Formats: sequence, structure tokens, C-alpha cells
Amino acid sequence: MWYRIIVIAEWFGEMAERYRLIRDFNKAAKNSFIAGKAPTLLESKITKGESNYRHAFSKFLGGGFRIKALSGRPLNQGELVEIGRVVLDNEELVRKLIALGWDTLEVHANEGYKGVKWPLKDFANIGGYLN
Amino acid sequence: MSNLLLQIKTDTTSIINDANEIAFISYWFWIALCEFAFIIYLIIRLKSKKSKLAFSDLGKESVKNAKTQSIDMENLMDSINGARTLYKELSRKCHPDRFVNTPKEKIAQEIFQEITKNQRNFEKLKLLKEKAINSLNINF
Repeated sequence: MWYRIIVIAEWFGEMAERYRLIRDFNKAAKNSFIAGKAPTLLESKITKGESNYRHAFSKFLGGGFRIKALSGRPLNQGELVEIGRVVLDNEELVRKLIALGWDTLEVHANEGYKGVKWPLKDFANIGGYLN
Repeated sequence: MSNLLLQIKTDTTSIINDANEIAFISYWFWIALCEFAFIIYLIIRLKSKKSKLAFSDLGKESVKNAKTQSIDMENLMDSINGARTLYKELSRKCHPDRFVNTPKEKIAQEIFQEITKNQRNFEKLKLLKEKAINSLNINF
């Protein structure tokens, strides 16, 4: 019985952590855009992700972490790839994304259906988990 | 007499109705059983599929620390917007070829390696810039 309560509490804690991460990202992106550091306003949101990129911690219909350009200067393909590479180079963030159930990183432009995506499992340092 | 005949007739009808109802229930019973078996099959398939996925050998406890790790989002945004420019500037100015046959050659090599390693981390690049200014006497 207690085990079940703990599991339910953990699930709610995990969901809260997921939404906290999204909120922190959006807040930082908004501040950066307002301060004039960023030419384009970015927004992150949860999508269903790519089924081929699934791993053991993937959330059902919530495995995609999408960064979308909202307004400002349109981003080209190279800039989209660069945004993705910055996120993937941040090992702590990638580990956190995987642990919280995301399996796909998507970066989308503000116009059309242009976008790039990566499987997060390929960029996680597994040894880091064990330490 | 006519009343008695009518009563017998009614009893027969109710017996026939009961028999139909039993047949109807058993029909739905078999459908429910099939559905139940199918659900069990799906659950087993899901479990076996999950055990083949990446990180399935890792326990939940091992990733618990990663869940609560705090991320510096300001640095992430700065890295997205300014790390590339700063990296290009640093890699150009701190390139070891500029310090060949000088006492600073080894320090320049170390700094350049660090710059390449942290090319998408704005905070680290800023620290390396300061280090380069102090140890290599470079003006930016």
C-alpha cells in the first residue's frame, strides 16, 4: 500500500519537474529575447516524439522535447542544427531530459515545416548515471 | 379449464426465455474471455519490448539524481546565442600557431584544447577568455 502511494507521489513529482524544466526554458528564452541577446524568441513544448527513438524511460505520447522559433528573425537550417547541438552538448541537460522521459529533441523553425530531430539516447553518457 | 391451459402456456414461454438468456450470457462470456486473453498478450508484449529498449538495464534509482539536477538555463540561452561567435574569436586569437617557439606555446595549446572541448558552453568560454587575457597577454 505504502509502496503504491510512493510510486504515485513520484509520478506527480516527475510530471512537476518536467513542466518546471519547460517553464524555466521558456522564461530564460523570453528574458534573452527581451534583453536583445537573442534574435529569435524560442519556445519549448512537449510533443509525442519519434517512436523509433524510444528508450526504457520514455513517456507515452510525451517523449518529444520541441524547441520552436516563435518570432523575430527566421532561422536557417544551420542555426537550427546549432541550437540542437548546444542542447546536446550540455550533458547534464541531456541526462535530465532522458531521466524525465524525453527521448527526442526537435528544433523547429518559425515558418513552414522545417525542423531537425535527434535521438537523445545517442548523446547520453551512460557511465555518468552509474557515478 | 381454460384458465389452467393458459397458465401452462405462460410457464412454457418463461422457460424458453430463460434458456435463451443463458445462451446469450455464455456468448458474451466467451467474448469477454477472448478480450481478456488479448489484453494479457498485449501486456506481455509491451513488457518484453520494454526490456529490449535502451537503458532498460538501468534501475530507477540510478537516474534519480539526474531528475533533480538543476540546469543553468541562462547559460544555455547565452550558449545558443553567443557561444559560436565567442568560440570563433577565441580559436582565432588563441591558436597555438601564433605562439610557435615562444614560452607561451604550451599554455596556448592547453587553452586551445579547452576551447575546442567547450566550444558550445558560453560560461566556460568566458572563463577561458579571461585565462587567455591573463596568461597569453591577448587583447580582445
